[in-house]
Amino acid sequence: MTESIPALTTPISLSTYHQLSLTVESANIKNSGLFKPNPYLQVVIDDKLSRRTDYIKNTLHPKWKEDLTVLVTPQSELLFRLADYHSFRKDNIIGEKRIHLLKILLYFNGKCDNVELTIDLMKTVSQENSSSAGGEVKTAELVILLDGLRVDPSVLSQSHEVLGENANTGSPLNEGVRAKLRMRSNPETMRSMARSQTLRPPPGPPPLSNGTHNSPPNIPGPPIMGPSTSLPEGAAGPSHADVTASGPPASGSVQFTNPGEEPLPAGWEMRYDVYGRRYYVDHNTRSTSWERPQPLPPGWEVRRDARGRVYYVDHNTRTTTWQRPDTERLARFQHWRGERRHVAQMAQGNQRFLYPHPQPPHPSHPPQLAPSLPDTDHELNSSDNNANAGGNVPLVGSLSFAGASVAGAAGAGGASTSSAVSAGAAADDTLGALPAGWERRVQPDGRVYYVNHKNRTTQWEDPRTQGQEVSALEEALPGGWEIRFTEDGTRYFVDHNTRTTTFQDPRPGAPKGAHGAYGVPRAYERSFRWKLSQFRYLCQSNALPSHIKITLSRQSLFEDSYHQIMRLPAYELRRRLYIIFRGEEGLDYGGVSREWFFLLSHEVLNPMYCLFEYANKNNYSLQINPASYVNPDHLLYFKFIGRFIAMALYHGRFIYSGFTMPFYKRMLNKKLTMKDIESIDPEFYNSLVWIKDNNIDECGLEMWFSVDFEVLGQVIHHELKPSGDKERVTETNKEQYLQLVTQWRMTRGIEEQTSAFLDGFNEVVPLEWLKYFDERELELMLCGMQEVDVDDWHRNTIYRHYTRTSKQVAWFWQFVRQMDNEKRARLLQFVTGTCRVPVGGFAELMGSNGPQRFCIEKVGKDTWLPRSHTCFNRLDLPPYKSYEQLCEKLNFAIEETEGFGQE
Amino acid sequence: MAATRRLQKELNDIRQSGLKSFRDIQVDESNILTWQGLIVPDNSPYNKGAFRIEINFPAEYPFKPPKISFKTKIYHPNIDEKGQVCLPIISAENWKPATKTDQVIQALVALVNDPEPEHPLRAELAEEFLKDRKKFTKNAEEFTKKHSEKRPSD
Repeated sequence: MTESIPALTTPISLSTYHQLSLTVESANIKNSGLFKPNPYLQVVIDDKLSRRTDYIKNTLHPKWKEDLTVLVTPQSELLFRLADYHSFRKDNIIGEKRIHLLKILLYFNGKCDNVELTIDLMKTVSQENSSSAGGEVKTAELVILLDGLRVDPSVLSQSHEVLGENANTGSPLNEGVRAKLRMRSNPETMRSMARSQTLRPPPGPPPLSNGTHNSPPNIPGPPIMGPSTSLPEGAAGPSHADVTASGPPASGSVQFTNPGEEPLPAGWEMRYDVYGRRYYVDHNTRSTSWERPQPLPPGWEVRRDARGRVYYVDHNTRTTTWQRPDTERLARFQHWRGERRHVAQMAQGNQRFLYPHPQPPHPSHPPQLAPSLPDTDHELNSSDNNANAGGNVPLVGSLSFAGASVAGAAGAGGASTSSAVSAGAAADDTLGALPAGWERRVQPDGRVYYVNHKNRTTQWEDPRTQGQEVSALEEALPGGWEIRFTEDGTRYFVDHNTRTTTFQDPRPGAPKGAHGAYGVPRAYERSFRWKLSQFRYLCQSNALPSHIKITLSRQSLFEDSYHQIMRLPAYELRRRLYIIFRGEEGLDYGGVSREWFFLLSHEVLNPMYCLFEYANKNNYSLQINPASYVNPDHLLYFKFIGRFIAMALYHGRFIYSGFTMPFYKRMLNKKLTMKDIESIDPEFYNSLVWIKDNNIDECGLEMWFSVDFEVLGQVIHHELKPSGDKERVTETNKEQYLQLVTQWRMTRGIEEQTSAFLDGFNEVVPLEWLKYFDERELELMLCGMQEVDVDDWHRNTIYRHYTRTSKQVAWFWQFVRQMDNEKRARLLQFVTGTCRVPVGGFAELMGSNGPQRFCIEKVGKDTWLPRSHTCFNRLDLPPYKSYEQLCEKLNFAIEETEGFGQE
Repeated sequence: MAATRRLQKELNDIRQSGLKSFRDIQVDESNILTWQGLIVPDNSPYNKGAFRIEINFPAEYPFKPPKISFKTKIYHPNIDEKGQVCLPIISAENWKPATKTDQVIQALVALVNDPEPEHPLRAELAEEFLKDRKKFTKNAEEFTKKHSEKRPSD
């Protein structure tokens, strides 16, 4: 952003406003009477703005350590006035001194970084209001610290005119003012000190010290607290209220703008360009804007960290962020906060699942990850003891209860043992007896699970049917044959005997011909369960023994998680997780870690961290925010989040909200197509389609093989190929152009972040393990499925060129009701772009232009396939002639992933 | 910059064509993404003044449409108090990369000259426009007199 400075039409001048952090430290007052004063310090800048500290009662040696952040120009004059506070009569001035900032700046070559000033405060004996008159006596000595002001020395050279005859003296300060540079304390100790007191994690940037009031000298204190700040002690003195009452809500900045308009926030300046147009300079971030900045919202404050970087503190929520809060950002944050309540509920309510069950929705632990029996975890001493008291395997029954306590778990386990006996023999006789060492049990809620006594594990799956599909298929393959998958997950067969490959299943039992059930080509028929079991198998066979303990506080969830996960070698994260929330006594048998994944996945997506953003205003899927670079440590955080997301997959846990489809495709290393842009930037997509569909010669597009986009007010230029700036886009080369633009649109500004994320991910789960899946399955795996309420869906669907009673409509709903949850989720993804239903149900489905109900439109002929328009939640359903035809076409459309939607 | 060449060309074309109804075009050399100019309407009640507008082009122009806002207050059913205007030609649904700024300006001038009360931004003005044209015209003329800029003399 530094580059933007030369672009300013007017150079920074001596009349430019800068932010100066002024810490009033202490004073020594000469004893001059019977009573000790109640001293406070008033700072008056250019005889206009005045700020003051709190008064301290009854002392000659007041220590304020108060930060006053003020706006100054390099030629400002600062008047320091020490006064004695009286509640009833006029305050008595103890002593004062005027200082020209320019002299200090000249002395320190334009830099006021940690400059300590010791100032003799004087009082004229005659009490006349003049500092130059004779008869002055020194009444007190004041120590202040100036920080955070830097002025280009070249600008200072103009100062000679300003200072006139005084300027040529160069170095000497006013008499009675002593200045020195104070050493900053060791950054390492500072950091650790700050960390231990942090209110907020690193992504909210620099640490906000807990006791803002008594902050250590070098950590930015509470310089510009607004009147409405929520810190109780901070603004206590009536003095503060006096000063800031007329100021803008949160910044207490100088009122140097036009009267009648809200004053600009601290560090901002209004200027006019050569055309007389008004623009605004933000000296904090060294950027310019045409828009008038909104004052910071109530309770917000701007601060600088030890490295001089600007950040924003929200005292309402006690959080920090690197980005200036504006209305839009706050609205997003509000939305995010609103979700928060649901997140907690959902984490508890277990509304997500992967394997559909006839039972009402309940947590489904994928097989290999079913928590092991307590006995196998030798490190878990406390739980071992308690567990053994309840019988051999008592804890199993409690696995589904979030944060279950040991006592509760043992009780539930006991119950399950008894019910197991009665229910045990009744069912599944057709499958024959369980394998040796296995036992079937029933939870208190009636759900069946299986105990493997040989290796002391439990699982939901019946060992007699588990993985049957896999083994049946694998075993039946003729000798020398092998099943493999193409890059996009299509199954094919390799005949090593003849060194040939085919999509045709060679086994005798396999359906002959190209089509399987519903007439869908066999190659396209997938079994999500089968793929999932392959993935689980990989996870299980790479699992490590014992567990890792992660102890967190709910208040600093992100920071705690970040430190603990990044501290460990990545492979350790494959051990069983044992999550502890500080101050909560529950033991983690799955429930706590499930909650952790939910909460943290929601936390990392906090818009105030600027790491991720919603795809657009109607698509709440997440994508990497190109502006995330304002967060100095963003790449580390992306790596952390990559690890964390991989852990969710590895441990079979769900995250709260998913990513955009293009992001999943990137994880799968799949090629992104133009159609992928539609869901994240429909406007951009429409323009690309227009270019594709129209002859672009002769219409003066003036396009070249180069493109621009804007992040945080900065335009970033990119050549799509070498010398792209010199190659015009024409009808003949536009195909290549569209390809390159598509690639660029999907990756611009986020390449580094994406690879940091993938690095982190790959350390825990090798990306090849995902090869079985397509992007939609990946979303299902990560977010789980929700029970889709078909009645709600049906009720909130609208029709175009069909009616509610059209036979195709009736068939459609018959089809939906007959499919399982996974298929329903896929159908939803196909039409709406995500398998997730809004919290308020189908009535709240959003399209790219606001609320947009699920819509079925009659389009085309019965030979066509159905199409979808994800930005309008619309399914184009041709008027098929029979139910079977409708099923076949819809199935094909849902299962086939690539290419077809673009027709 | 990618958008610069296109905008430079469009700007030259517009300046050369000497539009009567769009004058005094000002563009900062260092930032061609922002234009200002005077809309000079022909029809009553706006033909007694001129109205300054600002056109803001996104960095991704012409993939994304420009945005237009009025800097001069105007009493018009399709232009709100903040100067926002709803112009179909630059809406997300209708935008085409081949649409030229002079077409956009012509559409805007046409809208200023002939308000479209069926798609109002200020419903109360649209109602007045439809129900009491005399009053509307009187109000708009007074408003124009009070707030608008001087029309270029030539």
